[in-house]
Amino acid sequence: MSISAPRYVQAPVARVGRSSRLWSIVQRELRRRSTWGPLLAMVLTWFIITLWAVVAVFFTSLTGGSVRNAFESPYESVIWNLLILIVAATAGAGSLADDIGSRSITLYLSRPIHLTDYLLAKASAVGVWILIAAVGPGCVAAFVSAVLGWVSPTDALAAAGGCLALGIVTAVFFTGICLVLSSVTRRSLYAGVAIFGVVLSATAAVSVISGITQNANLLYADLTSNTQSIAEAAFGLPSPYPTDPAVSAAVMLLTGAVLITLAWWRLSRIEVVGE
Amino acid sequence: MTGVVDAEAVTKRYGEVLGLNGFSATFSEGITGLVGPNGAGKSTLYRLLAGQLKADAGRLTLLGYPAWGQGEFRRRVGYCPESPALFDWMTGSDFVTTLLRVDGFSRSEAADRAARALAEVDLTADARRRLGVYSKGMRQRVKIAQCIAHDPELILLDEPLNGVDPVGRAALSTLMRRLSATGRHLIVSSHVLYEVERLTDQIVMIANGQAIAQGDLHRIRDLIDSRPHVIDLESSDPRALARALGGWDHVVSLEFPAPGHLRVLTRSPDAFYGDLPALVLQEGVTVTAVRSADDNLDAVFRYLSEGRR
Repeated sequence: MSISAPRYVQAPVARVGRSSRLWSIVQRELRRRSTWGPLLAMVLTWFIITLWAVVAVFFTSLTGGSVRNAFESPYESVIWNLLILIVAATAGAGSLADDIGSRSITLYLSRPIHLTDYLLAKASAVGVWILIAAVGPGCVAAFVSAVLGWVSPTDALAAAGGCLALGIVTAVFFTGICLVLSSVTRRSLYAGVAIFGVVLSATAAVSVISGITQNANLLYADLTSNTQSIAEAAFGLPSPYPTDPAVSAAVMLLTGAVLITLAWWRLSRIEVVGE
Repeated sequence: MTGVVDAEAVTKRYGEVLGLNGFSATFSEGITGLVGPNGAGKSTLYRLLAGQLKADAGRLTLLGYPAWGQGEFRRRVGYCPESPALFDWMTGSDFVTTLLRVDGFSRSEAADRAARALAEVDLTADARRRLGVYSKGMRQRVKIAQCIAHDPELILLDEPLNGVDPVGRAALSTLMRRLSATGRHLIVSSHVLYEVERLTDQIVMIANGQAIAQGDLHRIRDLIDSRPHVIDLESSDPRALARALGGWDHVVSLEFPAPGHLRVLTRSPDAFYGDLPALVLQEGVTVTAVRSADDNLDAVFRYLSEGRR
């Protein structure tokens, strides 16, 4: 007879798939951002844009103008970009910075998930949050206008489609900005300030330089010019801007993708040596 | 090497700083203590084992798999980092459940396992409280809960007793021993040596990124036999005792640290302990206490570290 030490074998358990595992991170991240700051920014955006669009459509229905112009009018304004910037900064600034700062990122990454999965889940959470702010108000305005009989269901559907197209491009761009700036600091406050600083200063600088040099191509580096151009095209309106909406959309999507890749690169190189 | 964890000349640099410097050791089954001072490279080794850092050189395997990279084998490993590493806005229950769901457990299975793990570390009553209001000891315990909740085979605990109160320490030590008794393997680090000493005799000692000794604590003690061994005696007449001991070849020095106390430095503790009773009878002095001042890991570590300088 021999005596041997017990050998532990993990009991077999059915595991859910990769998408479910990532969804659990997305859920937590969305819950994490449901605090007064991001929620206030979201409510403010919804209130202003919905009201603006509904009022514009109401007056258009009285005067017989273009309903597409009415639906597009909030997105033409700098205010829309500013509101989305506030939403992105409040919701996205801490997405990576909080995990890096508290080092809870180590807990995620010690599980059987890849860094790419982790970043994908974080990008999804930030992207969804921005998408809700960017697409939701326009869709609600279209729905309300259709229900009240101010626009036809076809026009309402087209307006919702325009909001969705613009919203996706905007969400990808701002998600990239948020993730890359959130990955370079341990404090969400710094990341938030950086998001504001980078976007506003880049926009101002490009506006000034393109005005001085009269070089229209520089406007592709201007967030406001790009979104205005894309908005016109998304709502089926002739663009009065010198920029091509397709190129503007490509620039914003590509910038977002490159920035997300940069965030991945940055995270893959984070090494912390003690407290 | 065929240990639970095998490290062969593992080197990890942080720029100019060496985290590990040719670290070689084998961690066998059961509980192994990883002992070393702050900055010795313990946490670097843990991060390498957790797959969060990639070694610059050398070979590091756990459960037979390369430590760098992800894979299904990660489900067999539990990691409790030293850093605070908590989501302060979550409740204890949410925290453990979330990480279990990332592990791949269904919502209900994750909730059940989280409740069991929190009960193991005596946090059931506080499971619904936010982590932000947890004390340091509670934070340590909830980190351990997330580490054991998925029933891992290999458990990596980086300074698990740090900040835990004495009652909590005893409870966690019991838990670790219980986990080990079920066949699981634990690597427990600490810079407080007696903590590890109470858990296991099996240790790996690390300093300056290198393994300076490994194996059974008593074997490691044998490594330092060439150095003087400190023995404290309490006697009715320490001076008479000192006069008698002065004639022994292996006694290096004699001190009187306090009234009624005699401190002896000997190169041969075995001979000392063997001959002392006869000497006491012969001299007619009373010895009320014999203590080995350095029969603990602190002394072993100090000797080994000094020996490498």
